[in-house]
Amino acid sequence: MGIGNQDQTAFEFRGDWKEFFPIAASNLLLTLVTLGVYRFWATTRERRYFWSQTRFIDDTLEWTGTGKELFLGFLMAIVALILPVIGLQFLIQALILQGQTVLAGALGLGFYVVILFLVGFATFRALRYRLSRTHWHGIRGGSEDPGFRYGLSYIWKTLVGGLALGLLIPWSMTSLWSDRWNQMSFGPHRFESAPEWGGLMKRFLLLYLTPIAAILLLIIAAIAGAISGSSDADIGIAGSVGAVVLAFYVVLPLLALGYYAAFFREVVDTLSLTTINFQFTARTKEWFLLFLGNAGLFILALIAALIPISALGLFSGFADLQPGQDPFAQNPGMVIGMVLALIIPMSLVGPFIRYRNWRFFIRNLEATGVIDLDLLTQSQTKVGSHGEGLFDALDMGAM
Amino acid sequence: MIPAWHYDGQTATRYEVYVVAQDDGLRLDLGEGRSDVAPWGDLFWIDKRDGASVFGRKGIDGWRVGIPLPMTDLLARRLPPQSRYGGLVDKFGIWPAVAGFTALSAAVVLVLWKAPDVVAPLVPMSWEQKMGDAMVGDLGGRICDGAEGQKALDALVRRIDPDAANLRVRIVNVDMVNAAALPGGQILIFRGLLQEAKNPDELAGVLGHEVGHVRNRDVMQALLRQMGLSLLLGGVGGDVGGALNSAMSASYSRAAESRADDYAINLMRTANVSPLPTAGFFDRLAEGERKLGKGAVAMSYMSSHPLSDERRKVFLASARKGAAYAPAVTPQQWRAIVDACANDPDVKEGDLF
Repeated sequence: MGIGNQDQTAFEFRGDWKEFFPIAASNLLLTLVTLGVYRFWATTRERRYFWSQTRFIDDTLEWTGTGKELFLGFLMAIVALILPVIGLQFLIQALILQGQTVLAGALGLGFYVVILFLVGFATFRALRYRLSRTHWHGIRGGSEDPGFRYGLSYIWKTLVGGLALGLLIPWSMTSLWSDRWNQMSFGPHRFESAPEWGGLMKRFLLLYLTPIAAILLLIIAAIAGAISGSSDADIGIAGSVGAVVLAFYVVLPLLALGYYAAFFREVVDTLSLTTINFQFTARTKEWFLLFLGNAGLFILALIAALIPISALGLFSGFADLQPGQDPFAQNPGMVIGMVLALIIPMSLVGPFIRYRNWRFFIRNLEATGVIDLDLLTQSQTKVGSHGEGLFDALDMGAM
Repeated sequence: MIPAWHYDGQTATRYEVYVVAQDDGLRLDLGEGRSDVAPWGDLFWIDKRDGASVFGRKGIDGWRVGIPLPMTDLLARRLPPQSRYGGLVDKFGIWPAVAGFTALSAAVVLVLWKAPDVVAPLVPMSWEQKMGDAMVGDLGGRICDGAEGQKALDALVRRIDPDAANLRVRIVNVDMVNAAALPGGQILIFRGLLQEAKNPDELAGVLGHEVGHVRNRDVMQALLRQMGLSLLLGGVGGDVGGALNSAMSASYSRAAESRADDYAINLMRTANVSPLPTAGFFDRLAEGERKLGKGAVAMSYMSSHPLSDERRKVFLASARKGAAYAPAVTPQQWRAIVDACANDPDVKEGDLF
């Protein structure tokens, strides 16, 4: 089956937000009344919808993960990982308060390394989990690799990337991406990833050097102002301060986006699965519009939250705090009303941002090549729902 | 014979098949005389896709059959129903499930809120002491533990509470008008409070209040409640600084605060220390509250305590007319307490958090 001809793109997202809204709303309701426990099932329902609205060639994807496995994975993660980490953190801080700074420092360093390992491990597991729960034509993906090795290489590559004054970050990012994807498979086929980081350096250096240049500019302007001592210099300084602020809040994020857009194109364009090659088409402008839209959603929700709160004067009990008063104890009904007025719109932002992100990802994803359906046989990777396989559900994105 | 599509889970090839409802299961005619029967109990609903209901089969990864809608009654009756929210919610329906979950959640919150009252008195004091030690240690050298000051302070503690053996009262070199009871009978007096207090009887009142919190096991209660709630809210925070901070700013219930005040008044009555200076201390605080305005209030001693003016009245009312009260400590001892931090050469200074 040939794909990616001019008439039809290989990937298509045909979801509709009006169709998604009832899912998001009922998820929120059930999550609220279960004190958050339902969120694992909510994530599952969300993904089922996204996947089922995503067509690849002639059929849609199918998400086969369950809320139960995410929930059990979360419990396992708490017992096996998070509690020991919290215990260690507690110990370190107790040592600091007791003045044992050297021991605390040594433990803190160890703690940092353990956290790095866990972040790498969890990233790997999340990808493996998602592939193993993604079916297309009845075939799924997965990985034979449990991800411990990836956790180790995540430690040293992150450290090396950061240690060289951060200059090797593009190397560590691309290298870790291919470490991850080269261990993944779909059906009987391995993914192959061979990104190059050299081409990313131009955009990375632009991002890297701009703040340095801005600070230098500011120093020069300040010195020049101090020497001349004229009032014109004050204007000059004010101008350069303005430029620096602009640089940090507008230019820098844009440059970061520009770098990330190039990075993502590079890593997807160099990814292949046997005879299929993937491409990603989004340029900086598209990424910018994605983030702009997401920020817009957030602001919209904030406005939606503030209108009922200010209309009902819910703040009134809190705006005029007097010593010794406890507004929470005095108007419990008002507190609940205020919290709900805030929580409901703000919690609907998340699902719709995920909706937009997924749509963005699929719309910009392309694939070319030929698939032989008879050779695309079932994956032989493990997909345990208990025991070791449960660690698969260490899906940070789902938590 | 109804036309349908089928994936067998072995390869990605899509088969056009015919399905027939049989007694023992769903029969798929695969063509060329081959067929496959999936027992009814093994089929599960997956999705609606392109005008068809899709079903999977337990035990065979990726096995799918898509049956076009609308389905015949015969098939619809035998095939599993559509699932939407997850097993439990589908079973009861969404609204009964919401009502049930709400009731259950309310019960959980209530238990977490009330349990500390019951559990706290059961925690062995020795555990609490270990916890307190782990949290406080020597506060990074900020304890003003010069011999003279500590000795005078101990004398004050013994004076108002003869049963002071399991109390550890110490002065901390931090400029806050505050005192705090921590787990394990630890009481911290901050330097700012000593500078604010005009005489030892005022300090005795504040100290008596904190002793009240210790004896009533309020500290453990507040700590357990905090832990329970943070566990519930998912923020399983685990830093000592945070725990210490929240223990100190722990908002005891209004009732617990009043009980601690009553405890202090009792101690002072037994020790024959006048409650009037403490009332005066609260009067000055109340004055400050009026002046400070809203924002600054939250930062200071009063915010975690009942209205200073109310407390002033309680202490004032407890004074006996014509009683011959004796000072809590001698003027020399009081000087030693107030100057404890200045006279401790190796104490470190600074904010705690």
